[in-house]
Amino acid sequence: MIALRRSIQVAVPALVVLVCVSDLLSPSQQSVPLWLYALNYIVPGAAFAIAGLVAWSLRPANHMGLLMMAVGVGLLIGAAGILTPVSPLARTISEFLRLRVGHPSDYLFLALGPLWAVVILHLLLAFPSGRLGARLSRGLVAALYVFVPLISLIGLSVPFEVGLGSWLQIGYTTVRSVVYQTCFAVGFVLIMKRWVQGGRARRRSLSPVLWSLAPLSVAFLTPTLEGVLQQVIGVPDAGPLVDSTNAVALASPLFLIVLPIGFLVGLLRSGLDMTSVASLVVRLSNGLLPEQLQPALAKALHDPSLEVAYWVPALESFADLNGRRVELPGPDSERAASILDGAASPVAALVYDSSLRHEPQLVETAAAAVRMALENAGLQAQLKAQLEEVRQSRARLVEAGQRERQQVERDLHDGAQQQLVALLLALQATRAEAAQYGDKRTAAMLGANIAALKQALVELRELARGIHPSILTEAGLVAAIQSLGERCPIPVQLDAEYSDRLPSHLEATLYFVTAEAITNAVKHSGGGRIQISLRRRSGIVALDVCDDGKGGADLAAGTGLRGLSDRVAAVGGQLTVKSHHAGGTTIHSEIPCA
Amino acid sequence: MRVIVADDSALFRAGLVRVLQSEGFEVVGQARTADELYALLATEQASLVILDIHMPPTQTNEGLIAARQIRRQYPDLGVLLLSQYVESHHALELLSQSPDRVGYLLKDRVADVDEFFDAVSRVASGGSAIDPLVVSRLLARKRAGDLVDDLTDRERSVLALMAEGRSNDAIATELRISRKTLETHIGTIYSKLGLEPTGGEHRRVLAVLSYLRSS
Repeated sequence: MIALRRSIQVAVPALVVLVCVSDLLSPSQQSVPLWLYALNYIVPGAAFAIAGLVAWSLRPANHMGLLMMAVGVGLLIGAAGILTPVSPLARTISEFLRLRVGHPSDYLFLALGPLWAVVILHLLLAFPSGRLGARLSRGLVAALYVFVPLISLIGLSVPFEVGLGSWLQIGYTTVRSVVYQTCFAVGFVLIMKRWVQGGRARRRSLSPVLWSLAPLSVAFLTPTLEGVLQQVIGVPDAGPLVDSTNAVALASPLFLIVLPIGFLVGLLRSGLDMTSVASLVVRLSNGLLPEQLQPALAKALHDPSLEVAYWVPALESFADLNGRRVELPGPDSERAASILDGAASPVAALVYDSSLRHEPQLVETAAAAVRMALENAGLQAQLKAQLEEVRQSRARLVEAGQRERQQVERDLHDGAQQQLVALLLALQATRAEAAQYGDKRTAAMLGANIAALKQALVELRELARGIHPSILTEAGLVAAIQSLGERCPIPVQLDAEYSDRLPSHLEATLYFVTAEAITNAVKHSGGGRIQISLRRRSGIVALDVCDDGKGGADLAAGTGLRGLSDRVAAVGGQLTVKSHHAGGTTIHSEIPCA
Repeated sequence: MRVIVADDSALFRAGLVRVLQSEGFEVVGQARTADELYALLATEQASLVILDIHMPPTQTNEGLIAARQIRRQYPDLGVLLLSQYVESHHALELLSQSPDRVGYLLKDRVADVDEFFDAVSRVASGGSAIDPLVVSRLLARKRAGDLVDDLTDRERSVLALMAEGRSNDAIATELRISRKTLETHIGTIYSKLGLEPTGGEHRRVLAVLSYLRSS
């Protein structure tokens, strides 16, 4: 395969050079008109051959290049045939070819000559994928491949000039012209249809081809032009290879000169660069909504008709986002599809204009990106669900912890504290009795015990308060923070914009954040005052605890702040620490609160 | 004096009743909940109610709500609230409603018999009694540009006793100073803190506590 490719890559330019050189070598006074006529073939032939070679090198998977080279070679061989009488080199080539083909196959060689015209039609219809899509196109091209050599053979083998009757020749010529013109008209209609029906991507690539057809069309529509041209150039009888009575378009290959360029430009324009797919990947990585996926992909592949169909296991079919069933196109369709396979079943399918077929790599890359995005979306959905689950369980844990603390505090309050106070009263009564009976020693001992018990009560009270301050349940967050401030060794100013109650777990969270922030400010900031502000706005409670200390607090460094942040996050909020050296520390918490 | 006691802890209630009876008070009723207390008040004549802040069913602030309600309904009845914790917030709230016949003490104070009955008699005689812990905490509280810092120790002692709701006689006795000296101190305190000497001895407690609590 590589050898074949290499030899084609060498042979085609060699032929071009050879024919051109032979052309240059040959001119003599007599041969000028013939030489000019041959140029008619050589220029477009060389153009087709070179453009085909370029196209083939750029798009090796696409047959367009090969077809274009075939046209070029056909034209060049035609030129060689024309120049045979005057160019030794052309003669050599001609003889070589005849030698290879052999005399009985002369007719075959001659019959195959005009096939380049059919190949041009083939090219037009197969553009830009190199494949003939519709059945009509394939039928037409196949018929012409058979019919054109056949007609040429008939024209060559029947000795019209000997005089089987001029009506036969006229009939033959008419039939041939009608057949050619009909075929090319149908071909033209098919191409125009593809233009009209094609998406932006197809039109983008088709338009240079259509423009480059313009000179040919002009020639086709004004046969007299050819006559004028022939008059000017003074074409002699060029023999059986050159059929000047043919459809003008076929007989004047010069008009094809811009066509190979049109094909090449069109082909390159249809070649979408990877940058559009790269930008698709970027857009996908930024997270696209499912409904944004199709337009993004259509844009990247320059095909507005592109559809994304999702596999619906229940339907055993593909469907669009609205749930409408999407049938995938067959192999002969104007549409093509790529299926994105998942682990067990397809994930989705891309349905696009068949003109994208010749860009398999691009479509595959885009499809892979989309599959990644779809899989990502799936994973993200899973992850979100898991995160939500974790968040909820964390919230439940914090709430449960909060309830437990409250319960412990209440148990202490109703249990140990009450009993100890009752015991205090009892001891007090006993001491009073002892004093009454003059038992000073017992009274003094009881007095000492009472003092110890009072101290124990104070400590127990502080312990219970640390577990859960009852003021928080009794009077709410603002009173509880005020109470914190009264106990703080540095001035605390509270600026509370509201005083209504919040859900108890939110109050507890904000209270403990405040308590910890105050403790930190007192212990570490070295500041002289603390400013606390509490605001409630549009579903959010915002708490700021600021000190005027030396700063340097870091959420990542200490476990205390980390714990606070976790606590706030557990109720769906966020805690941020702003700490500047010499600018103090602000601990800002925001908690959503309906 | 006829007293009603409301507390859900039977043990504490028993201790309190014994203390009260030992001092010659007549306990005319005992309640475990606010509702029982309302029922008792409807039937029993009493001049003082001693109740716990925490009572069933929620054990949060039933006592506070009951106190508010009772003081509205029975303005001549003294109300003394007891609690395991004392908070300036509650003190101010009680005094704001009316600084008359109201007391707010830590439960432990019941064991300091003299102090407790001093407070009880103040409440019963139309005055107020705020727990010294509330006052000392407010006095110890640091404030930016605090004028309290300008007071002498003696003046601070006077201020604290005023904030507890004590009368001038009681303060003079407590500090062993003459009434005249005390009045001089009080005048200095008012001028140093920029307070208006409003109301009588009973009413000044609210002004002083509000001042101490404000930032």
